[in-house]
Amino acid sequence: MKLKASSIIFVLLGISLLFAAGIDKVAAEEPYNLGVALGFTGTGTLYSRDQLEGVQIAVDEINAKGGFLGRHPVRIFQQDTQTKPDVGVRAVKDLILRERVRAVINDYSSAVAMAVKPICREYKVIHIAAISNSENITKVNFSPYTFQVVPNSYMQAKAAALGIARMAKAKGWKEYVTLASDYEWGRSTQEELVKNLKETAPQLTCKKEFWPRLGETQFTSFITSIMSMKPDFVYPVLASKDNVTFTEQAKPYGFFDKIPYVGSMQSVTELITEAKTMPRGLVAISRAPFFAHLDIPMMAAFVKTYQAKYKKFPSDWAVMGYDAVYALKQAVEKARTIETEKVKDAMKGLTVDLTRGKLQFRPLDNQLRCSSYLGVVADDARYPFPILKDLIEVKGIDSERPEAEIIAARKAEQK
Amino acid sequence: MTFTNLFSQFLSGLTYGMMLFLVASGLSLIFGVMNILNFAHATLWLIGAYFCYSFWSLMQDYTFALWVSIPLAALACAGVGWVTEVVLIKRIYKRELHEQLLITYALALIFADAIKIIWGPTDRLIVRPPIIQKPVFIFGAPFDSYFIFVILTGFAVAIGLWWFLKYTRYGHIVKAAVYSREMVGALGIPVPRIYTWVFTLGIFIAGLAGGVQSAIGSVTLGMDTAIVIQAFCVVVIGGFGSLAGTFAGSLIVGEVFSFAILYWPDGAMVLIFVITALILIIRPWGLFGTPLRA
Repeated sequence: MKLKASSIIFVLLGISLLFAAGIDKVAAEEPYNLGVALGFTGTGTLYSRDQLEGVQIAVDEINAKGGFLGRHPVRIFQQDTQTKPDVGVRAVKDLILRERVRAVINDYSSAVAMAVKPICREYKVIHIAAISNSENITKVNFSPYTFQVVPNSYMQAKAAALGIARMAKAKGWKEYVTLASDYEWGRSTQEELVKNLKETAPQLTCKKEFWPRLGETQFTSFITSIMSMKPDFVYPVLASKDNVTFTEQAKPYGFFDKIPYVGSMQSVTELITEAKTMPRGLVAISRAPFFAHLDIPMMAAFVKTYQAKYKKFPSDWAVMGYDAVYALKQAVEKARTIETEKVKDAMKGLTVDLTRGKLQFRPLDNQLRCSSYLGVVADDARYPFPILKDLIEVKGIDSERPEAEIIAARKAEQK
Repeated sequence: MTFTNLFSQFLSGLTYGMMLFLVASGLSLIFGVMNILNFAHATLWLIGAYFCYSFWSLMQDYTFALWVSIPLAALACAGVGWVTEVVLIKRIYKRELHEQLLITYALALIFADAIKIIWGPTDRLIVRPPIIQKPVFIFGAPFDSYFIFVILTGFAVAIGLWWFLKYTRYGHIVKAAVYSREMVGALGIPVPRIYTWVFTLGIFIAGLAGGVQSAIGSVTLGMDTAIVIQAFCVVVIGGFGSLAGTFAGSLIVGEVFSFAILYWPDGAMVLIFVITALILIIRPWGLFGTPLRA
């Protein structure tokens, strides 16, 4: 009997060991499915492609070390949102239901990100808005699953306002006009800038607001209107290719020689694609230019890898795509699991090491406290394109919306 | 507001109107003669812009590159139009209007994807020759010197089409086919072939317009969706199938938009749609169209 009992114990022990090993093996092999739903067609094409490249490099590096926690290889699933909210919602639902993604990076367009936010909340999937930057993504209708790793529209407008106020004082400017793309991001950024300028430079008056459609092909009427008004400066909020189109159409009018064009967003994408044609001397704002942080080893290494792989310099969008994945990785490491609920909780208020330095997700709204960058477009011998010189880095903590205002906005929303 | 400022705004509206006319005239011609509402027209216009970029890229070291590329783009686009008509459009003449719209909309999506495959998603930029990089001053108003070419091209197409329809034998046949396809056929005239060439001509003009547009800003995916609605507004206002109507509709849309930007920027686009809606209610066949076409 004794022998029989010990045999049974031995067999049971063996089975349980095998079972445990089996479980462990399954766990070790469970991949982390990451959705990338971006506007690969439509107005966001340029930025979205770059962002995917940044994401891809981060994922390759992480997978070379076994994946998240060294045992969950990251698998990317792509979907094209066509920069349209309805298509974006379908694309993300597809990623969640069919591909079982645990997190999704989305979108170029704030309107798409806003539409996708409730979907991610409903299905409990982490949503990282890596380049779309309307502050409403995190300010109102708050979702604990949505995180933003790009300086939001408020932060950018505040940063621009601080720089413009300084210039207006020096140059004696009194009147300005705004020219903003007529959609969520354009509207919210313009609104914030006007409000911020009222506070930082009360002597300035906004003479007129122009709202060209997103994807406008003919800016001529806007150009002649603005020139007729002779404002002291123009503040543009034009996205991606609209920015390029306006610049190209305004140049033959001698627009930039006559009216200061201040605070336009010129990311590395525009600096590269318009290297020959971009008017020098523009005062521009950018979200994550690599040349601002080459002193940080992570950025220097990323630029090197990116150049080796894609034979070009990384744009702001590639940088933020890369950072989005590393922010997620560090949240997974803190949570010690890939389980979404725990990762989401770990990410809240987390300080992460990124290419742009050590940055914290603000606990109130999951907005990364990242910087905005202002500078003058000028040539640099080190690059085959102009960069932003005399760079002013406005830290996230100095440009973010006060928490009390966000709490008030959420209370107002509930009424 | 000085005279110079107002004149400057008028010129902007005229340029905009001429660009719309170049896009809409082919659309209107095709509908007027063949009764085909071609939703893919603006996408073919975009293909013309990409063709122009490609030809320009091959010759960019020469100052004449742009001027040669524009007609080449129109010809290449006409080739695409000819193939499209022979392979697809020919088969949908007798279909219901909504079926035609669905089929040509599908065609627009196919062409848009083909553009992405052939030219990629990157924006394409044509560097203008130095002669048209500086503004000219007309009555003191600064004006993009390239736009003089745009306006002249618009007028040339308008006059050319008018002359073709009024004074040439083929023009007379085309006009006759509008009213009675059967009668024209009974006279021994090969109507299907006439239709093929009318469609090709319409797409040639779209390609020409695309070529002209390519030097105005960057050539990008999705440009067609921005302009197609305005082109439809133009033909609704002017009257489907009416050349004079398309010309007038283009100028109305261009000038209303331009002056609205000056005085009421928020409502510029709304005004265009209000005018279009009013025309549809009061005079559904458009300003210059005939009730027969309504």
